[in-house]
Amino acid sequence: MIPGRRPRSDAGAPVTADPPADGVKGDGMNAPLDRLAERFAALLPPGGVITDPVRLATYECDGLTTHRASPGVVVLPESAEHVAAIVRACVEENVPYVARGSGTGLSGGALPRTDGVLIVTARMRRILEIDLPNQRAVVEPGVINLDVTRAVRANGYYFAPDPSSQQICSVGGNVAENSGGAHCLKYGFTAHHVLSCEVVTPDGDVVELGSGPGYDLLGVFVGAEGTLGITTKITVKLTRVPETVQTLLAAFPSIETGGTAVSKIIGMGVVPAAIEMMDALAIEAAEAAVNCGYPADAGAVLVVELDGPEAEVAHQFAAVERLCREAGAFEVRVAADDAERALIWKGRKSAFAAVGRISPAYLVQDGVIPRTALPEVLASIDALSAASGVRVANVFHAGDGNLHPLVLFDDAVEGAADRAEDVSGKILDLCVEHGGSITGEHGVGVDKARYMPRMFTDTDLDTMQMVRCGFDPAGLCNPGKIFPTPRLCGEVPGVRKGPHPLVAQGKAELF
Amino acid sequence: MSASEDMPDLLGDCVHCGFCLPTCPTYVLWGEEMDSPRGRIHLMDQHERGAPLGPEMVRHFDQCLGCMACVSSCPSGVQYDRLIETTRARVEEHHDRPLGEKALRALVFGLFPYRRRLRALRGPLRLYQRTGLDRAVRRTGLLERVSPSLAAMERLAPPLGPAPRLPERVAARGGRRATVGMLTGCVQGEFFPGVNTATARVLALEGCDVVIPRGQGCCGALSLHSGRAGEAAAFARRTIDAFRDVDVIVVNAAGCGSSMKEYGELLKDDPVWAARAAALSDRTRDLAEFLVELGPRAERHPVPATVAYHDACHLAHAQGVRSQPRALLAQIPELTVREIKDPDVCCGSAGTYNLFQPEAASELGDRKAASVRETRAELLVAANPGCSLQIATALRRQGTEMAVAHTAQVLDASLRGLGRGPLFADGS
Amino acid sequence: MTPLDALARACADVRPAEPEEGVLGVAPRFVAAPASPDEAAAVLTAAAEHGLAVVPRGGETRLDWGLPPRRCDLLIDTTRLSRVVEHAAGDLVVKAEAGVALDDLAGVLAERGQRLALDAPLPGSTVGGTLATGAAGPLRLLYGAPRDLVIGLTIVRADGRIARSGGKVVKNVAGYDLGRLFAGSYGTLGLIVDATFRLHPVPETRAFVTRTYTAPKDAHDAVQAVLHCPAYAAGLEVTSGPGAAVRVAVLLEGVADGVPARAALVAGLLGDGAIGAEPPPGWGAYPDGTTLVETSVPPGSLPELLTAVPDASLAWSASGHGHAGLPAGTTPEQAAAALAALRRVGGAVVRYAPQDVRAALDVWGPVPGIALMRRVKDQFDPQHRLSPGRFAGGI
Repeated sequence: MIPGRRPRSDAGAPVTADPPADGVKGDGMNAPLDRLAERFAALLPPGGVITDPVRLATYECDGLTTHRASPGVVVLPESAEHVAAIVRACVEENVPYVARGSGTGLSGGALPRTDGVLIVTARMRRILEIDLPNQRAVVEPGVINLDVTRAVRANGYYFAPDPSSQQICSVGGNVAENSGGAHCLKYGFTAHHVLSCEVVTPDGDVVELGSGPGYDLLGVFVGAEGTLGITTKITVKLTRVPETVQTLLAAFPSIETGGTAVSKIIGMGVVPAAIEMMDALAIEAAEAAVNCGYPADAGAVLVVELDGPEAEVAHQFAAVERLCREAGAFEVRVAADDAERALIWKGRKSAFAAVGRISPAYLVQDGVIPRTALPEVLASIDALSAASGVRVANVFHAGDGNLHPLVLFDDAVEGAADRAEDVSGKILDLCVEHGGSITGEHGVGVDKARYMPRMFTDTDLDTMQMVRCGFDPAGLCNPGKIFPTPRLCGEVPGVRKGPHPLVAQGKAELF
Repeated sequence: MSASEDMPDLLGDCVHCGFCLPTCPTYVLWGEEMDSPRGRIHLMDQHERGAPLGPEMVRHFDQCLGCMACVSSCPSGVQYDRLIETTRARVEEHHDRPLGEKALRALVFGLFPYRRRLRALRGPLRLYQRTGLDRAVRRTGLLERVSPSLAAMERLAPPLGPAPRLPERVAARGGRRATVGMLTGCVQGEFFPGVNTATARVLALEGCDVVIPRGQGCCGALSLHSGRAGEAAAFARRTIDAFRDVDVIVVNAAGCGSSMKEYGELLKDDPVWAARAAALSDRTRDLAEFLVELGPRAERHPVPATVAYHDACHLAHAQGVRSQPRALLAQIPELTVREIKDPDVCCGSAGTYNLFQPEAASELGDRKAASVRETRAELLVAANPGCSLQIATALRRQGTEMAVAHTAQVLDASLRGLGRGPLFADGS
Repeated sequence: MTPLDALARACADVRPAEPEEGVLGVAPRFVAAPASPDEAAAVLTAAAEHGLAVVPRGGETRLDWGLPPRRCDLLIDTTRLSRVVEHAAGDLVVKAEAGVALDDLAGVLAERGQRLALDAPLPGSTVGGTLATGAAGPLRLLYGAPRDLVIGLTIVRADGRIARSGGKVVKNVAGYDLGRLFAGSYGTLGLIVDATFRLHPVPETRAFVTRTYTAPKDAHDAVQAVLHCPAYAAGLEVTSGPGAAVRVAVLLEGVADGVPARAALVAGLLGDGAIGAEPPPGWGAYPDGTTLVETSVPPGSLPELLTAVPDASLAWSASGHGHAGLPAGTTPEQAAAALAALRRVGGAVVRYAPQDVRAALDVWGPVPGIALMRRVKDQFDPQHRLSPGRFAGGI
C-alpha cells in the first residue's frame, strides 16, 4: 500500500486527497470541525470520537484504495439518537458527513470528506429481533451480513443477499449499495429483502420508510449509496433454506464455450440460484490463494448452483450438466457435500483479493451486459487486451451478465496505471453500447460518477437529483457521490446575490 | 532481504478488502479501524512513509494480540505475522515507553522465560493467595498485574509440590516407530507438568522413543512475539542446539511450536545459524499434527465425557493445525466433541497479552467463556497453557468451574484405559 | 394560442373531453392520446406552458382508485402507447409502452414461454396503470410486486422532458432507482411512458392445493406450516367472507416431475387439502363489495385480520398484502369503524368506495415520512399539476 504500488486515482476524480504523511493535522484551523468534535465527545461514550490525524488516516478509504481522503472527524455512534444528534449538529455547522459501515465498498461510496464527519456504524451491531412467524429480523446497520444468516440458520432460514464480502460487509452498507451477490440471479437484491428502514434524514429527523402508504421512498433509499440519509434500523426478510442445493463446476476450453453454455441454460427456462464464470487468469490467481483445485488447463470454469425442492433440482441439474457437456465442457464436477461445495465457492469468492497474488496492482470493473451479448463482449474485451497489452482477468456473475474484469498492471511501470484505466473505461463503453450498465453491484460512488453521462442524459441525471434535492436540499449527506455534477436545489428566488459559488467555479450547473 | 527491507512489499500485498476484520479480536471488541489488521497495516504504512512511531500508533500495535486469525482469513496472502513482528521490533528499538510500562515489561520478560525463576515464585504466590500481599508491594501495581495470572496458574496447577522431573529418555512401547525430541516449555513445564508427562506417555504408547534434552530452556516465543528479536534469537540458538540430535521435535504448547517453526525466518540473516534454524523449523511438529501423521496404533479406550475443543490461535492460525486435534479426539470412544462458537476469535490470552492489556484480555476471555458455556460441555480441551488459564479464569469469574485438559491428557486417559476420572479434579 | 390549439399542435389525437370521462366526478376539459414518448413529451410541455392539471388514464380499471383530483384539465389517455418495444427473450426482459394491456403482453411473452409474473385481476389493466398503482396479487409471495420486477423506466416530467432510469439489464445499480419510486405513485410525479421488466419462464406445470377451515386459528396454523416448509410456494392466498369458511389455497409451480410431490407435501400440511390443476374460484380476485380496502398484515397477525371485520370479505396473500371488501349498503359510519378495526391489525388504505363513504373516510390513513414525500413531490411537480390531490397526504 505504499504510494508507488497503489492503483492511481484518476486525475479528474473529485474530493480525493492524500493523507498528511507527516502525521501532523493538516487543517488544525477548522473551527466548525473542532466545535463538532467537542459536541460529539459530550454526546458519545468514551472512545466514540476520533480526531487524532494518525488514527483518522486509517479511515481514508474503503475497499477501493484509489480514492483517499482523511476524514475531518470520525464518530462511532451507538444508537439512532446518536446518529440523529450528529447529523443535526453537522447541519447546524453546515459540515458535510458520510456514513460508513465496514468499509468494504468498491466504488468509494464511503470516501470521507477532509472537511467533514465520518459516521461509522461499526458499534451499532445488535440483532434486535428475530421474528420467525413473520419471516423477518430487525437489525442495526453495523450488523455483519453473514451474522444475520448465522443467527437464523439453525431455524432453517437465511438472509439472501450474499455479496462476496458477506463475512464482513454490514447490512447498512448492503442497504446503501443495494448489494446483490452470486445468488441474486434467483433471489434478487437487497431491495427485495428489506421490508422497512428506520432512517435519520438529512434534517436529522428519524423516519420509518417502507412501513406505510405513499411514495416508495424505501425503494429509492435502498441503493442511493448513502446520499439520502443514514439507516439506523433495518427490517430484513428471512428466506427459507432450500430443501436441496446442488453445485456443479464445469471446465471449458475457452471463455466463449463457457458463455455458450450460460446462454443455453438460461434459454432453457432454468433460473439457477447462481451461474458464475472465471477465466484462466482468474483461476490461476484463485488457485494460488486458496488451492481450490479447479481443473488444470481450463480456459474458463463455470460454477452453477441450483437450489429448491429436491425433484425440481434433480430434473434441472441433469439438464444443466447435459448442456454444459454439449457446449464443450471437458470436465464436470458435482459437489457431493457441503465441504466440496464450499471448496468450489472458495475459489470464486476469493478471486478478487486473490488477483493481488498475480499482479502488483489491478482495477476492478463492474459492468453489466445483456447476457445474450456475453460471447461478443468477451471477445471484444479479449481484443482490447491484446491490442493494449494490458492483461484482463475475468470473474463474473454470468447468469445476469455482470462482468468483473480485473485489469492488471504493474504500478512500478511508468504509465501502466493510465493504460489500465483506459482499458477499464473502454470496457464500460462496451457495456453501455450493448445496452448494459456501468455498475451491477459495486455502486457508482466517486469512482464511476464520471461515467454516468455515458449511460444517462443530463435530464436523466437531473431527474434523479430531484429526489436528492427533496431529501437533502443542503447537499451535506455524502456529497460528491453518484452524480458527476451536483444539482442546486431550487433556492428561494430573489434572495441570492450573484451566481452560486459552485456555478461560478464551473463545478455545478443550474437547471 | 530482512523483513524490515521487505516491509514495502509486505505492506503492498494488502488490498484493503477488510476480510480480516471479523476475525480480529480487538475489532470485534471496539469496532475501530485502527484496531483491526487492515487499520494496523495502514498505520505501519504511515510509519513506513515517515510518520513517527508516536504513542497513539504504538498503542494500536500493542493492542494487537498477535493471534494471526487475520492471516488465516486473508485472501491476498498478506503476511501479517511478519509485519507485526517487524513492527514490534521497531517499537522496542525506537519507542521510548513510559517508566511504568518499561518496568512491567522488564518484570515479565525477566520472569516467564526462566523456569527456575518461575519455580521460585510458586511458594510466595501460594502464600500471597492465602494472605494477601504486603501493601508496599501492592502499591507498585506491578505484581497486581502479573500476580493474577500467576495466581491463576497456581490455582490450576495440581496442588503438589515440585513438578515431577521427566527422564532424559522414555522408551517406546510395543516396537519403536520413531524417535522424537520433546520440548517441555517453561510455563507448561512448571505449571502443567502433567501435560508433559501425558505427552511423553502418549508418544511412548504410540511407539516413539522420546528424547527430552536436559539443556533445553525457553523456546523464545514470548520474546519473538513481542518484538524482542535479539532475545528471541538467543533462545532459538540454544533450543536448536539442544535438539541437534533428533529428527523430529514434538511440541505440545501451541505458542512454542509456532515460534520454533519461525526460527528459519528469525535467523535467516545469521550466516552461522541460518541453515540449522531452517532445518529445525522443518522438523518441528505440533503433537496432534505428529500423531495424525504417524497414524494410531495403540488401542483407544472409552472416555465418557463431553468436551469443548478450543482452537489455540498459535495452533489454528499460526500453524494451520485445526483438523488434527479434532481427528484425534474423534477416535476416542464415548467422547463427544462440541464446537465453540466463533472459533477463529482469540480468547485474549495471547502470550503476554493478558499481562499488558488486561482489560481487553479479560473482555475477550469473558466472551470466549460465554461461548464455551453455551456448548454445555463438561471439559475444556485446548493445546496451549495460556488459553486454558485464560478461559478457566474467565469461566470462574462467571461462576462456572470447568475442568481443563490438554489434548495429550485426554489421549493419555484413553490410551491407558483410565476413563474420565483423571481429567476431572474431583475424580468424577 | 388556446390550450386546445397548443395540445393539438403537440399531439395528433386531442379532443375536448366528454362529460362522462370524469375522474371520480371531476370532469377534464381535454383528452390527449399521444402515440409515442416524444408526443407525450410534447403534450406535457404544452400542458406546462398553459398550466394544465394532468391526470393519466390507461385501461380505466383503477381510475376510481384513490381520491378525486383537485383539478383535472387534461386527461392523458395512454392506450395509444401500445408497442411492445423489445422482448429480449434470451435475456428474460421486455420493454413495453405504458398503454400495453397486461393480457396482450402476456400473449406476446407466452409465444416464447415467458411471462411477467404479476397477477392481473382486472382485465384490460395496462402496464402503466399497474405500475402507477403498484397492483399485485398472490404471486407477490415469490415474485414480488411491480416495484420488484421493473428494471427500467421512461417518464415524462411535469416540464415535458423525457427522463430514463435503470435500463434493460436486471442487475444495475447505476443511479437512483426511479422505477421503485414511481411504482404506486398514482401519476403524481410524472407520466410513465414505458417500462422494462424482468421476466420469468412460464412454469411447466402448476398445482393448487386448497382446504377450508372453520376456525381462523386452524387456517393460521396451516399457513405457518406451509410458509416454514420447503415446498417453495409461488402463492398462498387466504380468503374468507361473512358466514363463509376460511379457505387456504396454495399455488405450486415447477417441473412436471416435481410439482406432484410438493403438492402432496402441502396437502398433508393443510390436513387433507384438495389438489387441483386449475385455480380455485376467485383466486387472485379482489373480494366482493363496493368498498375495497388494501391491507398490509404480516402472516403472524392473520388470526386478528380474519376476525377484525365480520362483515368484510377478505383476500390475503402470504406476502402480507391483501384486500378487504365491504358490502353494498355499508354506511359511512360502519365503513369508518371497519377501517379503524383493520388499522388496529395492520396497514389499510381505501382503494375505492362509494362517494358518500369515501368522503367520510381517511382514505390513506397515517403516512410516515409524509414531509419527505411532499418535498419529493415539490421537486418533481413544483406547481402541483400532476394528478393533484389523488395521493397520500393530499399530494
